[in-house]
Amino acid sequence: MFRGFLIEILRSAIESIKANKLRSLLTTLGIVIGVMTVIGVMSVISGLKKNVATSFSQLGANVLYVDKYPWFSGHRSREEWNKIRKRDNLEIKEVQALKEYGTSFKYVSPLIQRRLNMERGEKEAPEVEIHGTSEDFARIINQDVNLGRFLSKDDIIYKRHVCILGHDVVNTLFPEENPIGNKVKIQGRQFNVIGILEERGEMMGHSMDNIAIIPFTTMAEFTGRRRRSITIAIYAENEEEAREEIRWILRSTRNVKPEEEDDFSINSSEAMIQQFNQLTKTIFLISIAIAAISLVVGGIGIMNIMLVSVSERTREIGVRKAIGAKSSEILGQFLMESVVICLVGGFLGIFLGATLTKLISIMSNGNLPFHIPIWSIFLGFGFCCSIGVFFGYYPARKASKLSPVEALRYE
Amino acid sequence: MSELIKMKDVTKVYPLGETEVQALRGVDISIKKGEFISIIGPSGSGKSTLMHIIGCLDVATAGSYSLQGKDVNKMNENQLADIRKEFIGFVFQDFYLLPDVPAWYNVSLPMIYNRVAPRERKEKAISILENVGLGDRVNHLPNQLSGGERQRVAIARALANEPEIIIADEPTGNLDSVRGEEILKILSDLYEKGKTIIIVSHEKYVAEQGKRKIYLKDGRVDGKG
Repeated sequence: MFRGFLIEILRSAIESIKANKLRSLLTTLGIVIGVMTVIGVMSVISGLKKNVATSFSQLGANVLYVDKYPWFSGHRSREEWNKIRKRDNLEIKEVQALKEYGTSFKYVSPLIQRRLNMERGEKEAPEVEIHGTSEDFARIINQDVNLGRFLSKDDIIYKRHVCILGHDVVNTLFPEENPIGNKVKIQGRQFNVIGILEERGEMMGHSMDNIAIIPFTTMAEFTGRRRRSITIAIYAENEEEAREEIRWILRSTRNVKPEEEDDFSINSSEAMIQQFNQLTKTIFLISIAIAAISLVVGGIGIMNIMLVSVSERTREIGVRKAIGAKSSEILGQFLMESVVICLVGGFLGIFLGATLTKLISIMSNGNLPFHIPIWSIFLGFGFCCSIGVFFGYYPARKASKLSPVEALRYE
Repeated sequence: MSELIKMKDVTKVYPLGETEVQALRGVDISIKKGEFISIIGPSGSGKSTLMHIIGCLDVATAGSYSLQGKDVNKMNENQLADIRKEFIGFVFQDFYLLPDVPAWYNVSLPMIYNRVAPRERKEKAISILENVGLGDRVNHLPNQLSGGERQRVAIARALANEPEIIIADEPTGNLDSVRGEEILKILSDLYEKGKTIIIVSHEKYVAEQGKRKIYLKDGRVDGKG
């Protein structure tokens, strides 16, 4: 029959809230705002994370990029930066060393990137991301050609003027015909189109299809005399193992002394995601702090209104006690009331938070996917219940401790 | 008949600021099961205090009080609540109904604490209301009822857990004489059916209803009725 009693106090709580609609609503506003913030921030972050994770995975899972510079600067002093800047450039000979000695990874490609305009007659594709690389690159980033073929060994060896185009470039330069076998110009030099890449979509609002791939040996024609550091892309099934091996090979080919730090950086999408998570964690903690403050303020509001309610209903408490209610039952009744007020606030907060997230998602043109983690809803409700109990306890206890005679005499 | 209530040398002292007020100064009472008692006395005589102690709403400062052989003075708060729930029904001068809920719900209130199932509660509440002549008023809110009707709802509520004793504190105090008569009639009907009735009043015609009268004066029983 205890369940029956619970239902009864729940019912009585709802009745009493209904009797004071406006008051209850205003009371619960702090909770609403708090929960809304929690849900909103969590959803946005969670959506962002999802987006970033899918975007970065397009860089290729299990792909390591060896660079002169780390992708993320982190907290580094000027001195450290100067040291990084003075590192030796990465060169093709290091690609060869990795290919020769590496056992824990299969594919190694150099990668030289430049943004250049591409032309075909009157048509122009501006600022195309030109990748100079080798035949293994397609396997490293796990991207096939839709049509035609990818680079071959001979293309590299003979420095052929061939290119594989991304989707955007095809749309701009060849809106109505098959580009394969046709010619395009990069900085006045003619290239044969030999393939078209699969479409990859966007990464954080940036198209991944505005690219063209050419042999890295041919790319040297555009980089001129100034020597630039290249990137080395490596496909590794076991990232940890590969990292160690890469470090070992590069340190010895680059003559890094045992006491010195690595003079290169091994980057990966995994590491990038980790960095990103670190960033969102900070945002997350700040917003949780804001939410916590508004929830505490809301809780104080609840306590205040419950104290008012207890004193307004002193008579009722007296009557209930006279007809046999125990102190614990009165306590339960008032606790239930504050918990219900908080839960109503929680519901509203979750609803408004979800609406807000949806709006943000729409306004961002889908760049921020609408995603509310289920656990954040549970967390929201959990919070509300705790606040209801925590801030409702004092008034409820006050009610339960009233002596029946005093309570009945109360005017 | 067996002794239902037995009080010996009961005193009650209230602290009042620096001083103390002696509300009861050694009261001896015994009431048998099925009696109809009036407790009479001028205001300040300790009637209400006595009623509260008999009704287990309050405990005596000193003296002994046994109710159906149980020593009430030694009970804790929860045990007192259980006694009130099972043995005692209260009727108050100001009715003390919950304003936001219908008559039947007011009547069903004591049954909630007695863990009666909801459906049964409502059915029983309605049948008690029919017994006090309010069969057509079950869904009315207290403010839609006349004073006499409200007091009848209050009596129905007092009867909900089928208590042994009904304690009525100035039950006609807020009613005109006609309505008052009706209430007294109901109470004396309950007496006929075997309930123990205790009326507390300072009004003579109300007190006359009792088959035995206990006069209180300055916190003492003034002779026996």
